[in-house]
Amino acid sequence: MKKPIPLTLSLSLLVLIVSLLVAETLTVKVQSTGLRSTPKFYSPAVQTLSAGQKVEKIAVQNGWIQVKTAGGVVGWVHSSAVEVPKFDLMASNTALKTQASTSEVALAGKGFNKQVEESYRAKHKDVSFVWVDKMLQIKIAAAKIEEFMKKGKLGEFGGGR
Amino acid sequence: MSALKRTALGSLAFLPMLLLASCAAVQSGADILAGTGQISESDRQSIVKTSQAVSATFSQITEEQEYYIGRSVAALILNQYPAYDNPALNTYINTLGQVVVYSSTRPEIYAGYHFLVLDSDEVNALSAPGGFIFITKGLLRRCKNEEMLASVLAHEVAHVSAKHGLQAIKKSRLVDAFRIIGTEAARRYGSEELAQLTTAFEGSVGDIVETLVVRGYDRKSELEADDLAVKFDVAAGYSPQGLTDFLQAMTGDTAAAASGKGWFKTHPSAEQRLEKVKGRIAALSPVPMEASVRTKRFEQSVAKLK
Repeated sequence: MKKPIPLTLSLSLLVLIVSLLVAETLTVKVQSTGLRSTPKFYSPAVQTLSAGQKVEKIAVQNGWIQVKTAGGVVGWVHSSAVEVPKFDLMASNTALKTQASTSEVALAGKGFNKQVEESYRAKHKDVSFVWVDKMLQIKIAAAKIEEFMKKGKLGEFGGGR
Repeated sequence: MSALKRTALGSLAFLPMLLLASCAAVQSGADILAGTGQISESDRQSIVKTSQAVSATFSQITEEQEYYIGRSVAALILNQYPAYDNPALNTYINTLGQVVVYSSTRPEIYAGYHFLVLDSDEVNALSAPGGFIFITKGLLRRCKNEEMLASVLAHEVAHVSAKHGLQAIKKSRLVDAFRIIGTEAARRYGSEELAQLTTAFEGSVGDIVETLVVRGYDRKSELEADDLAVKFDVAAGYSPQGLTDFLQAMTGDTAAAASGKGWFKTHPSAEQRLEKVKGRIAALSPVPMEASVRTKRFEQSVAKLK
């Protein structure tokens, strides 16, 4: 006699099939990030993605996600740069919301923002932001970092793991 | 198993679902009761406020808000310690810092991680939320190789990555901020909301600066940052021995310790940390070794400081 499939197994199969069918849309939550040709930080960026931009998930590999932009460009983004939608059990509606109510997307630009910083600075004129802005301008090119790692036998060029 | 027992077990299994749903349920429940006149409007407001207070945590602070909090924290740090305007040295620190960041648990943050040397002989390293990381000339002089410097930077990156700074914000500030954010749909605020948000912002920034400069993080956060630093070092290919070497140097630095300033004021004793770090490294063995090519470039980069 054929054994019936256990309930837990059939449920997990169902979840797997549904997740494969529904394309997952991710939203960029950092100011800007590179859409890279390979899943590495020092890999050249094929395109720059900005906060709020939506991309479609294709595959996942070691903390990196292969995505496709609305324009059809395919590349890799690091998982910490995007917000992954999650089912929200806190939702009071009968239908499950796919986005958490406190999500980065819902709160983008709200709360402690540029306007609040301006208001704070107007109250504290003695606090200088000159070096804060200078710090933000220090940017090291990906190729320079790769060269530094190669020469110093770091990461994949040495004993990193 | 009796029917009664089964029912009791069934209810227990359902409990986590109820707990998850509770905050939103409290709010909608209070709305319904107020609508039917069973509770007064002020009761409804206090019920909703209590449920919001329970749910207000640092983890709800968005990347962008963390960046704005961090900018002001960094500005206040730079108000106390002047920047060391040395482009070559700051480029070296930033390149090395990025390598550590790549191996961290939260490599991408709103505006990225940025590193700066502070023109001070005091031994100190500080990090503001949003990735603003500082290291004094005094601390740099204590480092003998790139591994030691990488370990100190990795410890600071870990504080940012694990959001330790944001956890220093008092809950009342977050409750106030989230209440305004929740009620206002607009991204630009009216004068009253702006004044209230600015007060909550001011308080939040003050809480973090006090923790960084005066009180220090709790022991648990420091040990977690050490644990993560060892992990980041190993992932990047640096010898985590850099951290034990640095802590060892700190235990022997009686003159700096006696000053009771900076690092010595805000960190738990190096002896206590050393023991834990050694255990962590042993568990990860074998770990990468120090490389002479890195020590050589470190010596060249910091030569002018000596």
